Amino acid sequence: MKLPLVEQDLASCVSCGLCLPHCPTFRVTGEERYSPRGRIEAIRQVHIGNEPADASFIDMMDSCVQCRGCETACPSAVPFGRLMEAARQGLAEHTRYQPWYRRVGYRTLSHHRLVLVGSRLIALAQRLHLVPSRRLGLPDRLPLRATALRAVLAPAGAPRVWLHTGCVMDAWQRDVHSAALAVLRVMGVAVSLPKRTRAAGCCGALANHGGLVGIAREQAAATMRSFPGEDIVLVDSAGCGAQLKDVGHLLDTDDARRFSARVMDIHEWLAEHLDRLPPAPGPRPAHSVAVQDPCHLRHVQRAHLPVRRVLAPYLNLVELDDDGLCCGAGGAYSLLQPELAGQIRNRKLEAISHCGAAMVASANPGCSMHLAAAGLVVRHPVQLLAEALGLLDG
Amino acid sequence: MSAALAPVGPLPDRVVRDPVLLAFADQVGGQDAGPVAVQGGRTQWNLGGTADPAARLIRAPSGVVAFEPAEMTVQVRAGTTLDELDAVLAPAGQRVALQGLPAEATVGGVLSVGLSGPMRLGHGPIRDTLLQARYVSAEGLLVTAGGPTVKNVTGFDLCRVLVGSYGTLGLLAEVTLRTRPRPQASVWLAGRADPADLFDRLYRPVSMLWNGAEVWLYLEGYPDDVAAQAALAESAGLSLVPGPPRFPAGRRSVPPATLRHVRLDPAHQGHFVAEMGVGVVHGEWPGASPAAADTAVVALNRQIKQLFDPYGRLNPGRDPMSVPTTRTGQP
Amino acid sequence: MTRTTAVEPRLNDALVIELAACLSADRVHTDHLERALYGRDASLMRGDAGVVCFPRTTAEVQAAVRVALRHGRAIVPRGSGTGLAGGAVPVQQPVLIVTTKMVDVEVDLANRVAWVQPGVINLDLTRQLRPLGFHFAPDPSSQQSCSLGGNVANNSGGPHCLAYGVTSAHIVAIEVVLPDGELAMLGGLGADPDGYDLRGAFVGSEGCLGIATRIAVRLTPNPPAVNTLLADFVEPAHAAAAVSAIIAAGVVPAAIEMMDQRITQAVEAFVGAGYPTDAGAILLVEVDGLPSGVAAETAIIEQVCREQGARSVRIAADEAERMLLWKGRKTAFGAVARVKPNYYLHDTVVPRTKLLDVLQQVYAIAERHELIVMNVFHAGDGNLHPLLVFDAAEPGILERVHAAGEQIVRASLEAGGVLSGEHGIGLEKQSFMAWQFTQPDLDAQARLRDAFDPHARFNPGKVLPAGSRCGDLAHLDAQHRDRLLADGVWV
Repeated sequence: MKLPLVEQDLASCVSCGLCLPHCPTFRVTGEERYSPRGRIEAIRQVHIGNEPADASFIDMMDSCVQCRGCETACPSAVPFGRLMEAARQGLAEHTRYQPWYRRVGYRTLSHHRLVLVGSRLIALAQRLHLVPSRRLGLPDRLPLRATALRAVLAPAGAPRVWLHTGCVMDAWQRDVHSAALAVLRVMGVAVSLPKRTRAAGCCGALANHGGLVGIAREQAAATMRSFPGEDIVLVDSAGCGAQLKDVGHLLDTDDARRFSARVMDIHEWLAEHLDRLPPAPGPRPAHSVAVQDPCHLRHVQRAHLPVRRVLAPYLNLVELDDDGLCCGAGGAYSLLQPELAGQIRNRKLEAISHCGAAMVASANPGCSMHLAAAGLVVRHPVQLLAEALGLLDG
Repeated sequence: MSAALAPVGPLPDRVVRDPVLLAFADQVGGQDAGPVAVQGGRTQWNLGGTADPAARLIRAPSGVVAFEPAEMTVQVRAGTTLDELDAVLAPAGQRVALQGLPAEATVGGVLSVGLSGPMRLGHGPIRDTLLQARYVSAEGLLVTAGGPTVKNVTGFDLCRVLVGSYGTLGLLAEVTLRTRPRPQASVWLAGRADPADLFDRLYRPVSMLWNGAEVWLYLEGYPDDVAAQAALAESAGLSLVPGPPRFPAGRRSVPPATLRHVRLDPAHQGHFVAEMGVGVVHGEWPGASPAAADTAVVALNRQIKQLFDPYGRLNPGRDPMSVPTTRTGQP
Repeated sequence: MTRTTAVEPRLNDALVIELAACLSADRVHTDHLERALYGRDASLMRGDAGVVCFPRTTAEVQAAVRVALRHGRAIVPRGSGTGLAGGAVPVQQPVLIVTTKMVDVEVDLANRVAWVQPGVINLDLTRQLRPLGFHFAPDPSSQQSCSLGGNVANNSGGPHCLAYGVTSAHIVAIEVVLPDGELAMLGGLGADPDGYDLRGAFVGSEGCLGIATRIAVRLTPNPPAVNTLLADFVEPAHAAAAVSAIIAAGVVPAAIEMMDQRITQAVEAFVGAGYPTDAGAILLVEVDGLPSGVAAETAIIEQVCREQGARSVRIAADEAERMLLWKGRKTAFGAVARVKPNYYLHDTVVPRTKLLDVLQQVYAIAERHELIVMNVFHAGDGNLHPLLVFDAAEPGILERVHAAGEQIVRASLEAGGVLSGEHGIGLEKQSFMAWQFTQPDLDAQARLRDAFDPHARFNPGKVLPAGSRCGDLAHLDAQHRDRLLADGVWV
């Protein structure tokens, strides 16, 4: 089966195997089929060697978390993410890899009101003990109602930015957006919010990772339209940020490339404006905080260091000794591959328990939900920052 | 690819043409030439079983063949004494890691017996010194094992098997050894101290000996480093001495940790000398300790001997599997 | 890939059923696509895996070996599959025993060893030992991925073996499942185990003498002081001369690595270590030990490099800079794909004093064959790693690469060198064995193998060329051999 990939990308892998330990699924299985090198070879066998794209092949592709830890480890600069997206796109187009109900699910994310209503229904069901949250990988108590977000006004001449609010994050972790707005407010920054309607729903990351490129393109284009003008677009979800920075490649238009160039992870922006952050009002907390790097921040955006620069003046940070290995959340991965996701998370939990930190900072909603579901105290760095600045009650 | 098979046959310089070695091979003779035994300095003659008196006694050729200081290797014939070898290496500020062994012992002899001297802790076992061996096989052929360079993984590592084989697989004719720089400073210290505690505080001491009461310590290196490490030892109760103690004749090896936890009957103090961190104990024991024979290992030993010397003519009477004085066991 | 003669294993084959009974069904794989993944390692060759097994314990390995023997199948042990000589490429549709699920580590500080299962990754062990103040000294460039079982099989080196010695010097004992299915402990924690040094014979035997199931590795104390120097030369010749001059000055550094301009540029694009990309060659030199020795040797090396024409000598200011300098060196092979998608690598060792001469021949040979060559190697050991980089899609290029490689090997051997310093012979370099060794030499090696494995069941078709004695390849049926050659097993 011919997959919609660039053959040069395939040829660039020399099978050296340096990626193996950086792959979360190889780490927990030790099997070549669950490694980047193995997956690339499988793609070669299907694309060039005429092997059938059978259930075994689908399993190899579907089990990839798409953390892209292999890309930072690869001395040959193999664009693994691109190959994996192409393989999944090919599978989605030619096989029953993405069944109708999953496609409906991804599409639903375009309709933000539906997402909010759905989320509240789940929250209600949780209160009535109708939903086995842990087993489904859901947060223990989804919010029943969320505080409204308001744009931040600032005098003329102040920096102006957008804040991307997204789909699931807006429904489940609106507190993070609130904290981001509070921080930006004390920094004297004007923040605009997109209209949270159909226009500003899902950025398309989940559909893109699932190989549903058509849906992903529609969602990305809609998201892009909700941020008119030239102002920087700040993103407080690492996965969404990675996707929005890649819209230029996905849509392949000048407009999209211009848009992608405006996208910044919020920590990148904050790290460039540290002088606008006030000193901590109180003493530095005694406890330490482990920094967990979301893969799409570390391996894709390569913007994990700013998180440390922003938090270090206020908190005692500790590093994990696992070389930035993925936690297993991977967007929808923890729902679709619960077993592997759990094994991968166990490694992360071990690394966190080694380092002796009281809580974990994670800049991605998927990671924080996945880790919180294992009983850890997980906060978004922006929340920790707002707290340290005395901007949050309690 | 059709051209996959390279031309057969060794490059010309791989065939041994040294007339001295060829003469030695002739002296050993072919498979029908009867049992033959090699003697070196006879410094460890009683180890590895009793030599069969029926075997023809010969000597390996001697002399340093090539020494290039910048290579840090030396090519030397097996019958050369350690003293003769050292005399060639010393002017270049080098030596081989065969220290602490009798000066009249031959290079081939100490390698064939394979027992390291008291500097093993710092210098490593003598088996790691051997890079290339040329030996005469049971068929009387000159065989090259290993290679002349400091690093080599070409083919199976026969050199390791030859060290400590008591000449039962082949008779060493010439070897290439790795050399090392001689240290700028060295010192022996001794005194009453807890050896395990001292061992943990020092960085890679070259030798540490213990007789149940007193500790001997040997340090080498750059003068300031040696002085600093010696100061550490002095603070633990050691002071400068001219050299190591005399070693009792017997020898056993135990896991090094055994020595760390040993609580001795005072009657044993001074009756043994243990190499800390290595696990060799020099002492006198009545009778042989029981062998911990692994049947698969014994079978492999027999099989190797059978394939290398099916005629049983190389150093008959010797057997590395039955070296009573070196049995592994409790001190 | 041709599959005409391949016998497809099926789930209901007796072999598969028995293996699944020894392990568990989910750790015995027969899937066709998956077997294709295990058909190769990090070399260019491809073979045909039979059944792929993932044991977790010694008992499971032994049981799987016995099943394979009962069914008359060959057995190929495999670790991480990072070997560069095809040592883990399956020949004869073997039962592949993959050790990647055997990752237990047990540290025995009192004996200064760690007992590890063979699948433990080299760098993982060193990381685990770090808080205790120790490390495992052999550090092959693939150390982030390669397994200790693989290190034992290949007697792996790495930059730091210049001062610390290769794997063999760091292996104390090995628990092995022998080719007859028996379990044996080779070597031991005591200094002088009885009998021949079977431990020494097993290390570097490339999976031909059995499979290691537990390994006692020696722990090396971390040095109190370390300095890493980067010396920058306009001419590769000057860098090579500096290597000899350092050794001649009586200094044996922990490591001396050399990279020529092409590879320096390719690597710098990946790591951004601040390598001077306009240098003809750079040397990466490390000294370690006690502080005053490190200071003295650093001064000597710096002076020697300047005398030999170094434009600059940079000393890493901190651990982060040191790690960055090393990262560039250790990822060099992979980085060549930034230049061309394929590479063919030799691993010869030449006497240190012949380094310059052979290096110049390597450049001349590449030029004659219109090939790009990059050199990144363990200069202190004289261990060359000329990388011929190419695009296999280019017609006729394989012949040129092959011919150039052959001439490089020949030049190295003529200079008094050896075929392989650390990658091993595997499938790839067998045909050159007869250049380095005479018939009696090869025969002696074949006897050692026969003592362990008289029926050549373990990793058949590797290391020794056909006709060494009973002849490895004589055991290979003709069909398999033809297919291997047809499928690109080229040397």
